[in-house]
Amino acid sequence: MKKSGVIILVILFVMGLCGSLFAADALETIKKKGVMVAGVKDSTPGFGFIDEKTREIVGYDVDFVKAIAKKLGVKLELKPVTSASRMPQLMEGNIDIAAATMTKTAERAKQIDFSNTYFFTGQKFLVKKATVKSIADLDGKRIGTAKGSTSEQNAKKALPKATILSFDDYPQAFLALQQGKVFAVTTDESILANILGKAPNKEQFEIPDIQISDEPYGLGIRKGEKNFLDFVNKTLVEMEKSGEAKKIFDKWFGPGSTTPLKRGSFKITDGK
Amino acid sequence: MFKYQFDWTVVTSGQYAEWLLSGIKVTFELSLLSIVLSFFLGLLIAVMRMSHIAPIRWLAHGYLEFFRNTPLLVQIFFWYFGSYKILPKAFNDWLNNTNFEFAAAVIALTIYTSAFIAEDIRSGVRSIPKEQMEAARSSGFSYLRSMQYIILPQAIRLTIPPLINQFLNLTKNSSLAMTIGVMELTYQARQVESYTFKGFEAFTAATLIYVVISLIITGLVTLYSKKILSPMKAH
Repeated sequence: MKKSGVIILVILFVMGLCGSLFAADALETIKKKGVMVAGVKDSTPGFGFIDEKTREIVGYDVDFVKAIAKKLGVKLELKPVTSASRMPQLMEGNIDIAAATMTKTAERAKQIDFSNTYFFTGQKFLVKKATVKSIADLDGKRIGTAKGSTSEQNAKKALPKATILSFDDYPQAFLALQQGKVFAVTTDESILANILGKAPNKEQFEIPDIQISDEPYGLGIRKGEKNFLDFVNKTLVEMEKSGEAKKIFDKWFGPGSTTPLKRGSFKITDGK
Repeated sequence: MFKYQFDWTVVTSGQYAEWLLSGIKVTFELSLLSIVLSFFLGLLIAVMRMSHIAPIRWLAHGYLEFFRNTPLLVQIFFWYFGSYKILPKAFNDWLNNTNFEFAAAVIALTIYTSAFIAEDIRSGVRSIPKEQMEAARSSGFSYLRSMQYIILPQAIRLTIPPLINQFLNLTKNSSLAMTIGVMELTYQARQVESYTFKGFEAFTAATLIYVVISLIITGLVTLYSKKILSPMKAH
């Protein structure tokens, strides 16, 4: 009796070891679970934010993971993440995919895999009207942004003499701008345009034509999940071909939206 | 499967170690300044709270209840963002060109902690037999002088252990200052994490540093009470 108990334990242990050696493929696991958990922002207007009427998270990012879940034939579960928490949440397996306004960088690509670029923007500045003509007007000033973002790192590089103040999130950075506590708020144009679009005193602010970086957004996937990554990339390219990607763009950033942006020549392309 | 490669060099050398060092400096300055200020403010409030003049007592009581019962984070936001509405424009402009983040954090930490310290000191005073006050008054000391020379020196000695608690709480609470952009230790640890994604290393280092800072503060206060306060017994 005792002996067989030990044997069963050993067998279970070995099975456990094998299990971790041949870790299940993420694509298969998601299909088996019947649900894909996506990490999205819940306070970034346009991309992932809470709809006032339905109290649900909606936005550009959300529509993309919705399409992927639909293609997979599984349910979608949304989990709010922040700029600082999205990578750890993904690496620890709490979410299957991160659709959270995440710029593709070489540093990040060491830790996770990125899909094809599904949104393209650049980092700009939001300032009080007529205070900034060129980038030289910004150096040496106090610049506000949010923690854990690439915006902070780009700003430090482009404006070595400026003081970069990182707030918890963009609404606070904008409040600091309104009160004159910072001279400018810097992050991706899409986010700035949306903050500006919702501001009650928007005529006092502007986004001058100064861009300090390209910001290609990618969906984040745990490293080494090639099947899942291929599936996501294929879906993205199909969405571009069918016109669905453009439709989603127009829905959130088209001429009639609160944040009109130009899609320009951007197209979701395989391998980019 | 989730594999994690530990890399302790991110916190022991290079620019990331420099960031953590500058964070330690700010946390130290923030904590020590607030500890000193909150102690004296707490002392003042405690004396006011025990005053014989009712309006002063009420004022101190209101102060205590208000600042003890609101979250520190709200108070930090209040001093940093809320003060803008009530101050004159010229003063705001001047503040915005100085390191107002740091000042707002010190103000919030000082006021919040002073409310707790005042209550600790008051309970210390209450443990001194009231005959001592009566004896002091009948020897011709005024109320404030009796407090200053007879009651408070004894009470504060009794209050040292709870005071150390408050000082340690203050030191750890100082990490909330990062929400308004004060670059203290937790802010820098997060900064290191967001640049290197080495969160385990950065926060382990920060945790150890907090423990060391706390031990130093405990040591300093204990030393002070042993060397400076205790000899007074002899008099």
